[in-house]
Amino acid sequence: MSTTMADSVRAAQAPSLGMNFPGIPFGRLLRVEWGKATDTRAARWLLIAVAATTVGLMLAPIFSPSSIDQSYTSYLGFAAIALSILLPVVSILTLTSEWSQRTALTTFTQEPRRMRVVTAKIVVSLILGAGAAVFGGLVTAAGLGAAAASGRTLEANLNTGLLIAFLLYVILNVMTGVALGALVHNSAAAIVASFVLPIGFALLGRASDLVADWLDYTTAFTWLLNGQWSGHLVQILVAVLVWVAAPLTVGLIRTVRREIH
Amino acid sequence: MITATALTKSYGNAPVVRNVSLHCEPGTITGFLGPNGAGKSTTLRMIVGLARPDQGTSTICGRPFVDLPNPTRVVGTLLDPSAMHAGRTGRATLTIAARMAGVPTTRVEHLLDVVGLADAADRRVGGYSLGMRQRLGIAQTLVGEPAVLILDEPANGLDPEGIAWMRGLLRDFADRGGTVLLSSHLLHEVQATVDHLVVISHGEVVASGPLDELLASSSLLVRTPDPEALARALRAARIAYAPGPDQTFTVDVVDGRVTLEIVARVALENRVLLTELRQSDSGGLEELFFSLTAGTAAHSQEAAA
Repeated sequence: MSTTMADSVRAAQAPSLGMNFPGIPFGRLLRVEWGKATDTRAARWLLIAVAATTVGLMLAPIFSPSSIDQSYTSYLGFAAIALSILLPVVSILTLTSEWSQRTALTTFTQEPRRMRVVTAKIVVSLILGAGAAVFGGLVTAAGLGAAAASGRTLEANLNTGLLIAFLLYVILNVMTGVALGALVHNSAAAIVASFVLPIGFALLGRASDLVADWLDYTTAFTWLLNGQWSGHLVQILVAVLVWVAAPLTVGLIRTVRREIH
Repeated sequence: MITATALTKSYGNAPVVRNVSLHCEPGTITGFLGPNGAGKSTTLRMIVGLARPDQGTSTICGRPFVDLPNPTRVVGTLLDPSAMHAGRTGRATLTIAARMAGVPTTRVEHLLDVVGLADAADRRVGGYSLGMRQRLGIAQTLVGEPAVLILDEPANGLDPEGIAWMRGLLRDFADRGGTVLLSSHLLHEVQATVDHLVVISHGEVVASGPLDELLASSSLLVRTPDPEALARALRAARIAYAPGPDQTFTVDVVDGRVTLEIVARVALENRVLLTELRQSDSGGLEELFFSLTAGTAAHSQEAAA
């Protein structure tokens, strides 16, 4: 390779130019993280599985009209539960894959302000969560439509407050995944924890009312979903504090401080 | 330009890096040489902000790495070619890097050609060989058109052809004014590539400087059938010497003040016959390096490579 005029110009300018590049805009980080969360085969299959679970569970109230309450909220509840199964896993992987795949080594040399990268990941999870909630709403509407078409009478008991509660329920489930992923950094361990912890605390809750009332977040989030605010608001907030805010805070500190090998 | 000043780090009670300083100028390739476990990777990780030094500082182009607004436009980093997402294709991996750097994604196609991965661009990285990952990693470092490259063991997994290719690429990069810092545990691997060396052992710098100075012999060897006459002549000329076996003398070059020509002239003027006059086979650095690596894993790796 011979040294051309362009080469020497570039050589002369490169070092000084390099210092004057502006920082990475947050929108760009967001776009990159959105791509990373959705561009692998594993991620796509997982999103397909989330959709399939939602559609699959919606068949239950349609085909069991005698045993399942035929109301709008009942149908929406099936969408909510379906989304709470796999959606946290999507969020977990968004946070943990940098560590499990060791790409943190590259990512944090591309943007050393780690908090910005993690914030972008959290926003991506929230966008996915909101999108999933909308999808859940559409599947519910389709399910209700199918039930109505079969000539059933459905109790139209939905209101704006309950729709917001549904959105919050989905988002909070996403955030438990985000918090676990931020804290644990290991995909397998975080996913196992996300399935074992709710079951574990539900079982402990049978032995202790204290656990059942304050630490079993499945119950607390279900109060939220059913619009049972009164009397449970403090318990719901405690569940959010213990299962989202606290692990997320510790996880973010850990992420920012962790040395990468 | 890369500057590290007195970097020091311990894990627990075990010191890993002690007081390591180095300075890499534009237009040069610096080899960071030492046996496995000497602290090379830890030092490089401190320079790029992935590990915190207990003491000491480092800058790239005058700024701490973590303060660079968009680091990949300034410095390309390849610390571990296996640290790539196995489920992503080579092209996707480079596209992410291009987006982060804010360069047009058309640069991705160019770089895939440069590193010879155009045909494998749509295969997932999980199916790449170590050499292919190394090439992809090199492409990734070049995405942001940086002025500085920091590479940890870049020759690992490359075949001789690949090593020659990389040598040319790095030489070209430095000739255009770039700064390169690369680590290796094999002297012979870097000898033909680098022009400066920093040798590290047990976390400490044991030698550093321009390669030719470090490799230059520090003494001359003189052989004569008449040792007594030569000894007299050298004494008269105030040149220090040490008698060796087989009618030889070793003469210290005293930082270049005593040259082959001076010794030849002394012999000529005193009519002493010389049968041999040359630089001693010191390879001081080589001896130093092999004494450092002796008995370590480096040897077995070299044998396996």
